[in-house]
Amino acid sequence: MATADTWQPAPSLPAPRSERGWIGWARANLFANWLSGLVTVVTVPLIAWVLWRIVAWVFGTADWTLIASRPQQYLIGLYPTELAWRPLAGWLLVSILFGMAAAMWGGAARRIAIGYGAITLLLGILPYGMFHEGVVMPGWIRALIVANLLTMAVGYALGRSSHWGRPRTFVVGGIAIYVVLLVLLTGLPGMEQVPPRQWGGLMLNLILAVSGIFFAFPIGVLLALGRRSALPVVKILCVVFIEVFRGVPLITLLFMSQVLVPLALPENFPVDSVTRAAITITLFSAAYTAENIRGGLQGLHPGQAEAARALGLPGWQVTSLILLPQAIRNVIPAIVGQFIALFKDTSLVYIVGMLDILEMGRSIVQGNVQFADNGRELFIFVAVVFWIFTYTMSYVSRRVERHLGVGVR
Amino acid sequence: MRLSLTYQGIPIWRHSRVLGWTAQIVSGIVVVAAVAFFIANLANAIDERDIPFGWSFLNREYSTPISEHLLPYQESDTFAYAFLVAAINTLMVSIVGVILATLLGIVVGAVQLSGNWVISRVATVYVEVFRNVPLLVQLFFWYILLLGLPRVSEGFVWLDSFYLSNSGLSLPAPRAQEMAVPWLLAVVVLIAISIGVRAWLARREERTGKPSYPLLGGVVVVVVGAIVAWFALGGEPFAISVPHPEGRFGRIVDGATLSTELTALLMGLIMYTAAFIAEIVRGGLQSVSKGQTEASRSLGLGTMETLRYITFPQALRVIVPPLISQYLNLTKNSSLALAIGYADLTSVAKTMTQTAPAVTIFLIIMLIYLSYSLTYSLIGNLYNRYIQFTGG
Repeated sequence: MATADTWQPAPSLPAPRSERGWIGWARANLFANWLSGLVTVVTVPLIAWVLWRIVAWVFGTADWTLIASRPQQYLIGLYPTELAWRPLAGWLLVSILFGMAAAMWGGAARRIAIGYGAITLLLGILPYGMFHEGVVMPGWIRALIVANLLTMAVGYALGRSSHWGRPRTFVVGGIAIYVVLLVLLTGLPGMEQVPPRQWGGLMLNLILAVSGIFFAFPIGVLLALGRRSALPVVKILCVVFIEVFRGVPLITLLFMSQVLVPLALPENFPVDSVTRAAITITLFSAAYTAENIRGGLQGLHPGQAEAARALGLPGWQVTSLILLPQAIRNVIPAIVGQFIALFKDTSLVYIVGMLDILEMGRSIVQGNVQFADNGRELFIFVAVVFWIFTYTMSYVSRRVERHLGVGVR
Repeated sequence: MRLSLTYQGIPIWRHSRVLGWTAQIVSGIVVVAAVAFFIANLANAIDERDIPFGWSFLNREYSTPISEHLLPYQESDTFAYAFLVAAINTLMVSIVGVILATLLGIVVGAVQLSGNWVISRVATVYVEVFRNVPLLVQLFFWYILLLGLPRVSEGFVWLDSFYLSNSGLSLPAPRAQEMAVPWLLAVVVLIAISIGVRAWLARREERTGKPSYPLLGGVVVVVVGAIVAWFALGGEPFAISVPHPEGRFGRIVDGATLSTELTALLMGLIMYTAAFIAEIVRGGLQSVSKGQTEASRSLGLGTMETLRYITFPQALRVIVPPLISQYLNLTKNSSLALAIGYADLTSVAKTMTQTAPAVTIFLIIMLIYLSYSLTYSLIGNLYNRYIQFTGG
């Protein structure tokens, strides 16, 4: 033992049992002090009881017939059944994008694609109306729904290929698919026309939300820049626009778009009530987006613009290459929050008499005596559907935020 | 070949001032033209399609019932007065909603940061559920839930003074007596005095260094003064009116009764907005860096003192601006009352358009909503300026 010439500390003992493992966790998080312990002891049984009641209600008392017997109406509203292949074909195209995203970005995109595929498969094979009459979903519709998994696989293959799997292809393809979808839904000249008035269900909510986001973002950027512009006329116009649209409830604006706007347009002006509602929602959202982006622009150090100018960049490049990317990156959570709000606001189109998923369901409840007491089931179902989409959006936003390192530096 | 070094100046089509003016003139002309086009069409429509227009209807009898109203209202009242009644209804929902949503939001936000895993999870679930589901769906849900309650005679009773049934919620309410106005005047005077007392005590504290409790002093002046005035005036200024069932069907009389529609609207608005406020509060509290708390604790301040003097004042600066915009949202969202049939500004206005010119009605309700928004923004911004860092 005399050879040991350097002193070695004894290896440290493991933490006491009460400080590690699940006991340690419980001591730190459930029973940190007497108050915390009391709260735990009181709330846990309460929560267990509430959860038990919920489970008992969902699988026992609740009667889901009003949803299980009419899946098609919740998906596409009163779109003619014999033409239902059109929205379904559009859906097949959209699935390509999910497959591509999963292949190109992996991680969160892949998880979302898997969830999306699972829900799609479930929609295709669920035994609707198993215990009740009134199954209105023909076999070919089921087949087309399940076929989404194939197009997802095609998209996945495209995303993997080095030639197609690029963000630019994805964006251009997305826009192209969106346009094709709208044309398909309306019907090409010569085909049977289905005007937007007859669109409905979840499809309508999604179309309104996607168009709203697609147009509200650029308009919002322009308004934000206009509001910060040194040109007084432009600035005043933007301020008035933003403040009027932000100061009045959306429901009032929608209502105006139905009563007032037709009067202010020439007679027989070819803009139907659905388009007017879509434009109103878009402009409303653009005003809020503009304020978010303005917040981002205000948060930037003036040195950024000065340095860019000193390097000789022309004004529009200072804005588009230096200021906007940083400003937008800093306000991603706020902008996504605004888009979530926009998606939730699509439920207001009932003002225009459109049958979105909520109003479709309400008309089913009101139109069928046997469902008169099933309002609760309906609203919970609609809430869950909306929640899946909004929660996914906020999940993506958190991932993107982390990826871009907002707030880390 | 000789290089010309003479500077030619920026060509006119690239000169920033020229471009700026062109942009302004063009956008100005486009907007003016568009507005003129709309107004011309509108005027045309008013003329040719016999669309009613004008302000004279405001003095006409509205002669339509308004189901629920804070101000006294009869069908023989004018349109102008009906507007006021509806505007006050919206204002009431907005004020009650803002107060309760703030309280609930602060509690949920603080609980989210609690060290207890169970309740912080519960708070997070609350936030994620309520802010991600459209308010309209929530309103419908609360509404049918309330409609599904037992009838009045079999409804829920709490402490013999709160009654909940499918015809609404009844709760005790103050009823003004004859001495109410003098007493309220006295309270206003007392508040003015207490502001002076507070300032004087604060100066004293600053000068002498002795604790003088300025805030406590001010509050004591108001409370003691108000109690003295209550008894000195002879005759109570307010009586508490407690609701109670009456008659064979157990109809609830006295107290204040909120209809099912109003209860559902308030519940929906409060739960929805509180979820957003909770996130704002949580973000605000988290924005105060940990070093602040640690420094304060090492200076010997206790947990509550740290929260009161160090964390909260700093968090408030982050919290207030988005909080104001939530208040505005709540006020605007109260227009969804239209969907469940509470007589708020938008829903009364919608009914009005059936018998009166729509163009004018829209102008009026836009102005009322804008004035609400501006008032909230103004109060909020003043308060915000008061709590921001002051130089020096």
